[in-house]
Amino acid sequence: MGDKRQVKNRRYFDYLLLFIVLFLLGFGLVMIYSTSSYVSSLNYDGDGLYFLRKQAIAVVLGLAVMTVVSFIPTELYKKLAPLIYFVSLASLFLVLTGLGHESHGARRWIYIFGLSIQPAEIAKIGVIITSATLIDRMTPNSRRSWSGILVTLAPAALLSGVIYFLTDNFSSAFIVGGIAFMMITLSEKKNLRPYIILVGVAIIGVIAFIALVKFPDKLHLGFRGERVLAWLNPEAYADGKGFQPIQSLYGIGSGGIWGKGLGKSMQKLGFLPEAHNDMIFSIICEELGLFGGLAIIVMFILMLWRIRDISSHITNTYENLLLCGVFTHIAMQVILNIAVVTNTIPNTGIALPFISYGGSSVIFLLAEMGIVMRIARDCDFKDAPPVKKKRRMKEEETHEES
Amino acid sequence: MKKALARKRANARGISTRLGVFFIVVLLAFVGLSFRLFAITRDNKNEYRQKVLSQQSYDSKVINAKRGEILDCNGNVLAASEERYNVILDTKQIRQSDEQKGSSDVRNASVDAVCTIFGTDRKTLTDYMDSNPDSQYYVVKKDVTYEEMSRFLPYITVPEAGQEKDSLYNANVKGVWFEKYYVRYYPQKTLACDLIGFSKSEGQASYGLEEYYNDILTGTSGRKYGYLSDETTVEVTTIPAVDGNTLVTTIDTNVQMIVEKHLKNFCEEYKNNYREGLGANNVGCIVMRADSGEILAMASYPTYDLNDTMNISHLYTDEQIKQMEADGTLKDAYDKLWKNFCITDTYEPGSVMKPFTVAMGLESGKMNGSESYYCGGFLQVADHKIYCHGRKAEGNLTVKEAVAKSCNVALMQMAAQIGKETFLDYQNIFNLGLKTNVDLAGESRTDGLVFNEKSMNETELATASFGQGFNVTMIQMAAGYAALVNGGYYYEPHVVSKILSPSGSVVKNIEPRLIKQIVSSSTSEKIIEYCNAVVTDGTGWRAKPAGYSIGGKTGTAETVPRDNGEYVVSFMCHAPADDPEIICYVVVDRPNVREQDDAKYSSIISRQILTEILPYLNIPMTEEVSDKEREELLALELSIYTNRVEKEDAEADASANNPEGDN
Repeated sequence: MGDKRQVKNRRYFDYLLLFIVLFLLGFGLVMIYSTSSYVSSLNYDGDGLYFLRKQAIAVVLGLAVMTVVSFIPTELYKKLAPLIYFVSLASLFLVLTGLGHESHGARRWIYIFGLSIQPAEIAKIGVIITSATLIDRMTPNSRRSWSGILVTLAPAALLSGVIYFLTDNFSSAFIVGGIAFMMITLSEKKNLRPYIILVGVAIIGVIAFIALVKFPDKLHLGFRGERVLAWLNPEAYADGKGFQPIQSLYGIGSGGIWGKGLGKSMQKLGFLPEAHNDMIFSIICEELGLFGGLAIIVMFILMLWRIRDISSHITNTYENLLLCGVFTHIAMQVILNIAVVTNTIPNTGIALPFISYGGSSVIFLLAEMGIVMRIARDCDFKDAPPVKKKRRMKEEETHEES
Repeated sequence: MKKALARKRANARGISTRLGVFFIVVLLAFVGLSFRLFAITRDNKNEYRQKVLSQQSYDSKVINAKRGEILDCNGNVLAASEERYNVILDTKQIRQSDEQKGSSDVRNASVDAVCTIFGTDRKTLTDYMDSNPDSQYYVVKKDVTYEEMSRFLPYITVPEAGQEKDSLYNANVKGVWFEKYYVRYYPQKTLACDLIGFSKSEGQASYGLEEYYNDILTGTSGRKYGYLSDETTVEVTTIPAVDGNTLVTTIDTNVQMIVEKHLKNFCEEYKNNYREGLGANNVGCIVMRADSGEILAMASYPTYDLNDTMNISHLYTDEQIKQMEADGTLKDAYDKLWKNFCITDTYEPGSVMKPFTVAMGLESGKMNGSESYYCGGFLQVADHKIYCHGRKAEGNLTVKEAVAKSCNVALMQMAAQIGKETFLDYQNIFNLGLKTNVDLAGESRTDGLVFNEKSMNETELATASFGQGFNVTMIQMAAGYAALVNGGYYYEPHVVSKILSPSGSVVKNIEPRLIKQIVSSSTSEKIIEYCNAVVTDGTGWRAKPAGYSIGGKTGTAETVPRDNGEYVVSFMCHAPADDPEIICYVVVDRPNVREQDDAKYSSIISRQILTEILPYLNIPMTEEVSDKEREELLALELSIYTNRVEKEDAEADASANNPEGDN
């Protein structure tokens, strides 16, 4: 009976999700061309297409990867999980070798076959698969126990630590940790213990923050400390660490409601650093206005809704956990990026998924979307007609408790 | 089995439910961020728009215009502008290019190229690049000529197909660019320095033609800038620079050189002669065309190099310069050197005034030219005994003799005849006390330095008749005298004859400007006759150049304070004698001799100048040349023509020899 249903459901394909992904990718390419053409023609002998070309290649490559991944059964990841984890970890150490490459003052890239890859992006997909595999093997009780939580978080913490200390990349380390944390938290109902960890981390953060603000001279927190101070008062640090945030705000503010029009940004003309990269959202707001910025946010909300909706039709815990991981990854990265661009949180280098320039980011994100699309084929609509869904779920949960 | 499946399914649904809750949390975060976006736009829209626009204005860049040239009447360049370049290094671009490639090829190649071509110290350059990684504007070398700059171009010029082998082109050479500007240079260096003036920076000029015609010479700088259109988009616009116009002057470089040579010779000859210092406080000379006011030469001594205006080492020792610096007179010394003696300095003209006084008498009808005056050596005027020059009693003199012998007593009697009113009227008619409006910067106002109704009494009228008691400039006297001898037509003296556009087309022709007729042609003829007598039978005999007859008037004026033996001696003349074409006026301010009151110093200079320039200006010789003069001319001609004669001889020899060789 199970086989029969599977065959039937294979026909389901989430066209809306595919449309959103393609829309964001296409929009991203347009915006990358808009934001980078001026700077790249200055730096690459008049070649205004330099960044667009590189990104377009990465997008094509990523779509191929997505297509292939969307046919790989998720069961395979369970078997490959240790290998994937090892590859994630090892690739991070490769930045120390001759393959490593320094840029923007940090050593975060490796060169393989002429491709520059950011291992932190591998680690993000790696931590999703590893954590899902670990949690899936546990019983509901052990998921709630300290040992179970530690077993899930330890590998992620190792990856996170390596990313932070080896490649000096706080935001990626934070996201890797956050993905694992959300996956274990969502895996079981009334799983409160992870929140204790969350509260602990929050308290340490608040203490560090207060200390930094009170005694900015005594604490030597390096550029991160300065970024926090610049966040509190960007105008005062406008020539240093506050330059990028304040230029970003100028971009958003000057766009108004409808924007200056596509391609008509002024901030991209060398004033806003990383305009085609981490700060692309600011230029979107400048050129397309508040309307354009909100439209992009709506697209991401739609994408997250699709992932969550797929998960509601999935009966497989492992697949559901994978969906949680992808969901968390995209949600965190979008929220953090927009929060940085609007100077809501201190500045940290974080890319806007599917839109920002960055080959490895887009390829591995598309790989994750491939996983989501593979899972979407397993959707069981017969079992859960939308109208009755809520009641049925309640029934089942009570059933489970009893 | 079925229960386990259901349980598993339920667990999966539970995850989905919790993910739904998380989705709501995420949604709230998005709502918060959306509000933040909205708040930024709402609260700071205008402020941030202004900030963005104010940052944008840095994009504006000036494109320098080329200052127009100054040419002499034959097209020789007196002043021109030359392209120069600053070599600029963009460290940031080099660093970024290297980072993108992950090497230091760009840095090495760029530094190599710069050091090879411009001889920069490699270490200085690399040290700077290390300590200023974000610098985009570092002047590696200033004042680079086009030739030097163009040797760098092969490095950054993509070679044409088929020529790649020989090319120095290196794609890694980046971040080096050239900032173009113009420098003024004066190929003739000291020639006509006072007349030309100098321009040190774009649009700024001091003295002479450079200052007077600054607006015409200065082009309009171009600008490359981004401006905001109505839709707040940046439009990058380039307004090209419009180069300045060129001046064609009436100055003849050869005449100017001859004049300057003789002024210099005089000053060298009498240097440290009687007192420490130059041959005279100042020597000036104006050569102009009598019937158009065109100035052919205008010079004074000492001169300075227009390319190196601050250099006064040819006039002062280092100690003197230091001393002047200490007591603050260095500025005055520069001003004295840079100003144009011929139009700026005022002095009492002395006896050169006499033809003017006679012309007043004749023109006003107070005299008819047939009068005779008795000279007893002095004349009692009011309370003063005013002596004749040399205190010598000349006896009875006709008007002509009075001028020729430069008799003060006769002139004072004429002035008394003319009267104060008429004298003052004619002073005005002759433009004394008024600017001539010569097209040069720095002409003095002399309206306070001449007599007026109140300041002129009997004594003043008497002394004014022979040019004492009031001040003039050289250009006033020359322009006035030119009118006296050209039939009475007063032309505005001028230096520029044409203004050309940068492409060479004529923008404006400046024709001789006739201001007024100051005397009738009959009076003019009489003045010519009297002045000719000065040279043939009178005080100016030393000025006669070999082969020509000229007319003129000597001048010896005592300076203020009187009786200290200091004089300004001068000689004004016209040539040829009967039909004046050229006016030449030489003034020697306090010659460096014991007895200064002798006009021979100026007459001799005049003679030397005329001897050379009259043949050059193709004015035919009319007089017989004595043996002595022939010798002199021969000596002069030899020095001029020796080379040509030798050359001709050599050619003749060669043509004579060739046929023999063939045989």
